[in-house]
This record gives sequence, C-alpha cells and structure tokens, in this order.
Amino acid sequence: MKSNTFGWILLAPTIVVLFFFGVLPFLYVVYVSFHQWNPFAANPNMIYNAAGNFRQIVFDSAFLASLGVTVAFVFFAVLTEVVVGYVLAQAFMSDFPGKAFFRTIHTLPLIIAPIIVGSIWKLMTTPSIGIIPHLLQSSVGFDLNIGQSAAAAFIITITMDIWHWTPLVTLTLIAALVSLPPDPFEQAQIDGAGKWQIFWHITLPMIAPAVMATVFIRLMDALRIVDEVLMLTGGGPGSATRYIGVHIFREVFPRTNYGYGSAISVVVLYLTIVVCWLLYTGMLAPRKPRKG
Amino acid sequence: MASKIENIEKPIDILDDGKAPPIAEKSGFLPIETNWFDRLFISVVIWVAMSLLWFRFVEPMGLSIWISNVIALTLATFIIAKG
Repeated sequence: MKSNTFGWILLAPTIVVLFFFGVLPFLYVVYVSFHQWNPFAANPNMIYNAAGNFRQIVFDSAFLASLGVTVAFVFFAVLTEVVVGYVLAQAFMSDFPGKAFFRTIHTLPLIIAPIIVGSIWKLMTTPSIGIIPHLLQSSVGFDLNIGQSAAAAFIITITMDIWHWTPLVTLTLIAALVSLPPDPFEQAQIDGAGKWQIFWHITLPMIAPAVMATVFIRLMDALRIVDEVLMLTGGGPGSATRYIGVHIFREVFPRTNYGYGSAISVVVLYLTIVVCWLLYTGMLAPRKPRKG
Repeated sequence: MASKIENIEKPIDILDDGKAPPIAEKSGFLPIETNWFDRLFISVVIWVAMSLLWFRFVEPMGLSIWISNVIALTLATFIIAKG
C-alpha cells in the first residue's frame, strides 16, 4: 500500500467527523445568515434576505459598540496572558522548593468549567459578601461594585480571563522552552551576550511559532467568550461587558433572531480569521528577499 | 533512554511518497511568498471587507453593491494572476 493512501485512510475518520460536525454546520450558518428567520415570529419560515442582514450589521450601533469592547478585552487579556504566561514558564524552568506543587496549583483553573469560573468570580466580587471588594475596601479604601462601575466590571472580566487561561499559555510555553537546544544559549553566553540579548535574539525567535500558536488559540477563545461573562456580569452594567459572544447570545436566544445572529457570527468569524492571518503573515510568513 | 531512542525505526512520513508535486510558491507583487490558495484567500478577504465598507459608506450615496463586487472580482483576478 502506498504511504500516501495509508495516510488518507488514517485521516478519513477525522475528515468525516470534521465535515459533519464542523463544515456542514458552518455552511448552514452562512446559509441562515442570508435569511430572515425568527421561528417564533408571525411568519416562522426562513425568508431570503440577500445581504440585508450584513447591511444591517454595519449600521448596528449595539454591534459596533460590542465589537469595540471585545477588541479592547481581547487585546488586554491575551497580551497579559502571554506576558505573565512566559514569566511563569521561565520561573517553572528553574528549580525551587515546592515547584511541582505550585505547577499543579497554577494549572487548576484550566480544569474548571467556564460557567463555574463565572460563578466563582461572581461570589468573589459581590459587594458585602465577596472577598475582593472586602480586601480592596479594607486595604486601600476602594469600593468595588461591578454592578455599578463599567470600568470595574471590564477590568474584573479581563482579570477573570487571565486567571482562567494563563496556565494554558504557561504550559505551552514550558513545552516550547523545554524543547530548545542548549547550544545556542551556551554559545551566546561564551560570546558575552546579556540576558536581554539572549531573550530577544535567541529565545524569542526560537519559541515564536509556539507563542503565535498560543496567541491564536487564546485570541479565538477570547473573541467568543460568553458563559463566564454572562454569569459574572450578564454583559453589564449597561453594555460595558457586552462582548460579541454575549451580544450574539442575546440576539439569538432571548430574541430568537436566528438570521441576524448567524450573520453576526459570520462577520465575527471573518474578523477572527483575518486577525489571525495578519498576525501569522506579520510574524511568521516567509518574506521575499529584498532586491538591491 | 538514549539507546531506546536510537533503536526506534525511522518513522513513516505519510505525506511524502516521493511523487507528490511540490506546492508552487510564486513571487508576484505581494510582499510574501504565496501559492494560488493564499492569493484566493487574500482576494476573498478583500472582497468581504470591501462589501462591508461599501454597505456602510458608499451604498447610502446611491451606488449599488454590484459595483463593489465587480471591482472585487477584477482585483481578485489581478491578485491571483500577478500576486
């Protein structure tokens, strides 16, 4: 048997499953996005709307506002997760007492379901019973109320996401750092390179593919955050934490506006792909040699 | 451990049967090396972006979305051929 045929046979189950559970639903969402469809309206049938939903999206101030806060959320959350994750990965690369214990403890948030994370943080941030408002009040006199302060709610959702997902970044970066060959580092040290130079010219270029893969995963996850935020703030106060996932949820489920919700989903998918592609092209794609 | 690793036979590369044609990378006006699928992808991305921006800023002035589609199609042909 040719090795190529053998490869396709091995891939076949995955391709079949991906087609039925990934490609077909995606095509159906694209199909629905070109229709008006509210199954609980006077006319429950799908009505072909051409690009009407997309025409509506670009003028939808709630959608555009939600896109704005989502971009801010993703930027701060993912950037902080990568930086903190790298620092923790470097810390776990060196030996210290209780390393295995701390590594286990720091990985625990990963195994908690997002809805539980949301409820834990809701308990911790509820004024009068939460530990965080209590500590902030007793230490610096700050009155934290995420039900009233838009900025506080926004920062707390970012903090929650960082707490939940930094361990994933740490684990992937530990895997990347462990796989690095020691020779370039030894040679750099012999040549008298400083820590910053070693990081910038050796470590970072060598772990760049792992960093980018992690950023892509986190970017896609952060862009579609729903359950944690829905549990913690419900998208409020006002629309301060009404991220795009929450916006789609509210459009599709309480308002049963399936056509418009699908159109928003398609636009968000488009934006996610474009952002990831731009990041990949900017950081990793092979460039043409300069002439002259 | 090292001896165990040495004893492992060379793994089968299921993607390389020695006959598969290499993907043709092209050097056009785009600043990155691309194959035809990359250039098709770039064209679709530009088409969608143009359509959404057209809906928002140009269509209210009375110009049909079909003008945007024709421009995008022309651009796509150019990118795929020369990109």
